[in-house]
Amino acid sequence: MTLQISLKFSPNSLVESGSYRLVELPVDLCNVIEPALNASDPLHLCIKGQRDEDAVLCTQDKTYSLRSVVLSNTILIVTPSPDDESTSVDIRDQVTNILELAPCVPKLQKLDSLLKGRVYDEGCIDVDDQVVGNKVTYDDARSSVQASDSELALALENRRILMINGELRPIAPSYLHHILELLLNLLVSLSLSHDAVSINELGLTLAEQHDVPQAVTTQVMAWFGTIDGDKCRLDLTAIVREIGLDILRNHRHEPVDQDTLLAKWRSGVGDSYESRLSLELLLGNYVTLHPSISSAAPVMKYFPASELPIEPQTRFADLFLARSRWTHEEITPFLTDIAVDTKERDKLILKYCRAITEEGTTWYMARTQYNG
Amino acid sequence: MIIPITVSPPLSTGGGSKLPPPFVKVSHEEIMLIELQGSLNVKAAEPGDRNGKLVGYLRMDETGTKPTLEIGHHLLEGKIVQLVKPIAVLSRLKIVDSDKLEEQGEGESTGTDKGEEGGDKGWGISAVVKRKIVFGKRPMPVAQ
Repeated sequence: MTLQISLKFSPNSLVESGSYRLVELPVDLCNVIEPALNASDPLHLCIKGQRDEDAVLCTQDKTYSLRSVVLSNTILIVTPSPDDESTSVDIRDQVTNILELAPCVPKLQKLDSLLKGRVYDEGCIDVDDQVVGNKVTYDDARSSVQASDSELALALENRRILMINGELRPIAPSYLHHILELLLNLLVSLSLSHDAVSINELGLTLAEQHDVPQAVTTQVMAWFGTIDGDKCRLDLTAIVREIGLDILRNHRHEPVDQDTLLAKWRSGVGDSYESRLSLELLLGNYVTLHPSISSAAPVMKYFPASELPIEPQTRFADLFLARSRWTHEEITPFLTDIAVDTKERDKLILKYCRAITEEGTTWYMARTQYNG
Repeated sequence: MIIPITVSPPLSTGGGSKLPPPFVKVSHEEIMLIELQGSLNVKAAEPGDRNGKLVGYLRMDETGTKPTLEIGHHLLEGKIVQLVKPIAVLSRLKIVDSDKLEEQGEGESTGTDKGEEGGDKGWGISAVVKRKIVFGKRPMPVAQ
């Protein structure tokens, strides 16, 4: 038996036109959405972007770029007629394009421009009230930075951005360095174990002896450890790394030789934690330059991946300006934040570099000359 | 700017009625996608004139695999196609609201505020569709 039903325009077809969109779902996103369709709690996604930006779709923890693809065919979106569901169906909308999603790297660089000039340094507490206007709250950042909530939270942590009275303030690196050194010193002088440090005790001591606001100490401890109730398990390696980074930061223009840097680093960290020191901790933040006289020790320069352009082409141009050739191990730390996975990273390397092998080592060199 | 999208079961967005039995099996109980080569162009004196008007007859054979669509004197033969990737159907939340549907059926003035008010509530996903009906061939003439 063949069933016949009527296909009609919906009674509100004029009003409804344009009220439907079709989105092609990547497998991982489909696995998130499908269970939610049967769950009692709705799942929330969002599309983010300013008028001059390409829109992205954010889930709780991922970001996807949105691209509209025009179809040569028309797709009718058909639902049952409300009044006569067994013999007729309604055309709710006609669409001629479909939205495609592709996983993309969150566009966190905007956070930096948003927070320019909002640095929180020692003694900021006193002048705080005078700085009125252009305050940036978490919600401001959330609505203008194209990243999912957990990616944004992670970025705030990685960029060492404090939340002071609801306002986002990046902490001054030197101030952070100072606090961390104080923390390490206190751990030693009070003979505390880094596994379970009382947040309150340490916060109060720092506030009393060194005028560091407790709110700042608590957040700093959360960055460099895991908080469990009122105790914090500090990640000493992360602290040691940050101190090393700050020393390195002073050598943006004048290179420093490796041994001097390590010596400074050791003295900053103190005897008890010296064993955790390793140059590997600083990968992606420095570039080693080999001086022309082979006997001289290699020198290092501060060269953070986070300050390089996000466009692959210009990033590679900058990398090859800093050094004319790189090994695979040296260049990869500078590419992790512009590629979602190693496959994409290797694709970029293939596209922008020329590989040559010399005495068993593969070197990457610029494929083209960027002379303008 | 943030446009919220809510993924929730169809009932909460005002749906609930099901498609006629053979079409339920196409992909989803409440929504199906029909792909046409070209588009439906309707000449109407007033833009609202096509509201609720009949387009044609949709038929499905007993095996549920051969859909046909008759529009006027044209017969289209279709097939059911698996989508390469599943498609989520996004709808503007205001329109799906069942109370509003009735109101809008009455007057034409509601057409103008659709954009502004609909944008506030964002969009909803109430279905993920995995198959569609495609009418990809040329229509055959039908003698009545």
